[in-house]
Amino acid sequence: MIQHDIIAALLTLVVLSCWIGALGAWRMHKPMQALHYLALPTGAGALSLVVAVVLETGWGTTAAKMIAISAILIVTNAVGAHAAARAFRVRKLGHWQPRQEDGVEFIPQGPQA
Amino acid sequence: MNLWLAASYAVGLCLVPCADLCLRGPVERRLVGLELAGVLVTILLVLLTLGFHRLPFIDLALTLAIMLLGASLVFVRFLERHL
Repeated sequence: MIQHDIIAALLTLVVLSCWIGALGAWRMHKPMQALHYLALPTGAGALSLVVAVVLETGWGTTAAKMIAISAILIVTNAVGAHAAARAFRVRKLGHWQPRQEDGVEFIPQGPQA
Repeated sequence: MNLWLAASYAVGLCLVPCADLCLRGPVERRLVGLELAGVLVTILLVLLTLGFHRLPFIDLALTLAIMLLGASLVFVRFLERHL
């Protein structure tokens, strides 16, 4: 019964992370802010789901596939979110290099450096 | 109804704000909605797999997780230059 309760708690965590992620992304006005809420379902949600699936099915093919799904989600979310943020900046400015007014320390490249 | 199906219904309802993100507002916001919907549907497929006790169907979630990156990168590329 303890295992059943743990699975119930983990699934509650999955649902909560999905809801907070969805509502947070929905409420944010700027797309760059909304992007950050993708991390909740992919991080906390997927990891909790891995533990719940392992508790339910034991160590086997299903658990291995769930671990693979979770790893893929975590890695691809990071890559996809950064690519999307870069695209937002390129769309807005025409380039993605930092500007002087951004306050980012960087080494300019090219002959003027 | 078991725990997994109840969780899948709750996660499925999260697709409503995602649909609103995808269908309204600027195109950047729609892209965020698309990426979020992909993650949520992947989690939803896993929950449905366990809820219906059809464990081989977890391959669908695995396939979707693999294809999500390619799909979002294609849209990101078009958003950056062409849309």
